[in-house]
Amino acid sequence: MTKPFGRRDFLKIAAVGATAATANRIMTRAGASENSASGARQWAMVIDQSKCMGCGYCTLACQAHNDSNPDIQWNRVLVAGEVAGRTVYLPRPCMHCAKAPCVEVCPVRASFYRQDGIVMMDYDRCIGCRYCETACPYEARSFNWKAFDGPNPVVPKWGQPEVERRARGVVEKCSFCHQRIDRGLSLGLEPGVDADATPACCVACPTGARVFGDLSDPQSQVSQLLSNNQAYRLREDLGTEPRVYYIAADPTKMEA
Amino acid sequence: MLRQLRLKLPNLPISPWILWLGFLGVLLLAALIGGMLIFWQGLWLTNLTDRVPWGLWIAIDLSSIALSAGAFSLCAAVYLIGLKRYEPIARTATFVGLIGYTMAMLSLLLDIGRPDRFWHALVYWNDHSLLWEVTMCVMLYLTVLILESMPIFARLDWLKKRFPRIADRMSHVHHYAPYLAIAGLALSSLHQSSLGGMYGVLKARPIWYKPEMTVLFMLSAIIGGIALTLFASMLSVRLTRRARTNDLLLERVAHFLAWALVAYVYFRFWDAFAQHYTYDPGRTEGLELLISGPLSFNFWVLEVLLGALIPMVMLLSAYTRRHPFWRMLALGLVVIGVIAYRWDTNLSGLLVVMPYLPGQQTISYVSYVPSLVEVVTGMGVIAYGLLAFSLGVRYLNVVDHRLATEEREAATVRLPEAVPA
Repeated sequence: MTKPFGRRDFLKIAAVGATAATANRIMTRAGASENSASGARQWAMVIDQSKCMGCGYCTLACQAHNDSNPDIQWNRVLVAGEVAGRTVYLPRPCMHCAKAPCVEVCPVRASFYRQDGIVMMDYDRCIGCRYCETACPYEARSFNWKAFDGPNPVVPKWGQPEVERRARGVVEKCSFCHQRIDRGLSLGLEPGVDADATPACCVACPTGARVFGDLSDPQSQVSQLLSNNQAYRLREDLGTEPRVYYIAADPTKMEA
Repeated sequence: MLRQLRLKLPNLPISPWILWLGFLGVLLLAALIGGMLIFWQGLWLTNLTDRVPWGLWIAIDLSSIALSAGAFSLCAAVYLIGLKRYEPIARTATFVGLIGYTMAMLSLLLDIGRPDRFWHALVYWNDHSLLWEVTMCVMLYLTVLILESMPIFARLDWLKKRFPRIADRMSHVHHYAPYLAIAGLALSSLHQSSLGGMYGVLKARPIWYKPEMTVLFMLSAIIGGIALTLFASMLSVRLTRRARTNDLLLERVAHFLAWALVAYVYFRFWDAFAQHYTYDPGRTEGLELLISGPLSFNFWVLEVLLGALIPMVMLLSAYTRRHPFWRMLALGLVVIGVIAYRWDTNLSGLLVVMPYLPGQQTISYVSYVPSLVEVVTGMGVIAYGLLAFSLGVRYLNVVDHRLATEEREAATVRLPEAVPA
């Protein structure tokens, strides 16, 4: 065997090349969605648990505006416990994590970060492997197990569909009503202030428990609420950095 | 009695072979109907839910990939380390690997919600995703396996007669075996361990979230893959005269396997033991499922006792290892153990529902039992694997240790006796 370029050389070069490529990828790992420096808007939601009375209007409005399968709730209202003899609720939309496990694990980049912090889904790209469902700590993702055809039972009472219905076999989730935000901004409206540019759940909430707005603007309602109140996020120990903040129920502020 | 039976069916050739084909045919037909139902109706026919999105099909997928690992490990041993005499076993392992990876593809096609978009991972890269990396490696490695199997398919009599040139070309691929072995080793080490890593990176599932997932998946795959190759070879010898093995070779590989099992048991022991003595919400609950919950039979009996400890002792002790029947039994048990490990790993993470509400510590459980359509289609995938291997033994001599590859290119010289070890 008098090969000028032996098997060992090949192995060495392959190993060095693979290591270099991997190291390069890890070091230049896209820094999630930390785009606040780029001047983009940073959408966030603040939910005041003192005001939430568990009516579930948000869920219904969400199902109508996003035309979702009746089996699927993007926004679920959960019972969180009791404070001073009163039930405390916790509405749970998608957390739109700044470091979202679902985005990291998706094999086809069907889940991705938008510049404004929204974690979006590309339903035309999703292959339905459901890895994101195993990765999401908040159970915020739903798979379309069954085709949804026929009329939506919550339309028109709770709103009109604004987005295309998802096909069977893909995963879907809350998008902060990106369609309302984008359309509103193009019309010169301010999301969080003008109802037409604000997520449907916030508009439908009868007690104003859900507030939406831009975190990069210190004057926005969400920024004000967060600076004046002690807020928390779900499973902060996981380091996912959700964009949905909760203000814990305070018995003195709960309405009778 | 027998004579009378034969007289009754004078022209019908009902041999065990035909019966076997008929049995597999029934399973495949049922699976075909089940598969069409799935594609037509959707995955709501399964018992999978948003909380347990992966079930029987994923277990079959993971197991068939793990049990194919004999191909890369034996090819690396033969063509890279230079243990040439094991080449006939590597040949069987390559064929087993090709079957295993196609089985995995079949069960994945059933499992993903949009099988028509299976190619998306090739086009839309997410290099943060271990599943993307696994998909790419599996696809590339399947290509390597197809190339590596070319010389095996070149043995088909029909091909040799009808297209002698193509058959010749195909058997010449053997010249590139060392390079294919390098590619196979690289791709397999990547995805066999990242299949574990896929689970290991999920922070939301504490029992999975640990670095040793990669090591355990890799080690158990090598063990299971080699064990299945040896087991299938030995079983074929018992069932058909078309399979010939060199028992000495098999015994030596089984001896290696015994020590590999020791390493695996060591790592697996510390994996479970260390977790048992540290309370971590969710992780301890997942472990409870294994040691005293609904998965405890799988864990203690199939995975630990029958799947690892007993075969380890059987293969370490010279008497049972040299005895073909006991050796074959031990190898079969190892295969069962690896399958049980995959099943348990998947479910111990998914059946535990982690709370995310503030201050909520109660951890709840869900359950999962595969639905009929999942079982029927899963059986069909396995039946396909058995059918492919049976055909390979019968028509491609995939289990024939008398074939020495160096001579195979020159019109397959058959050595008079077994290759001296």
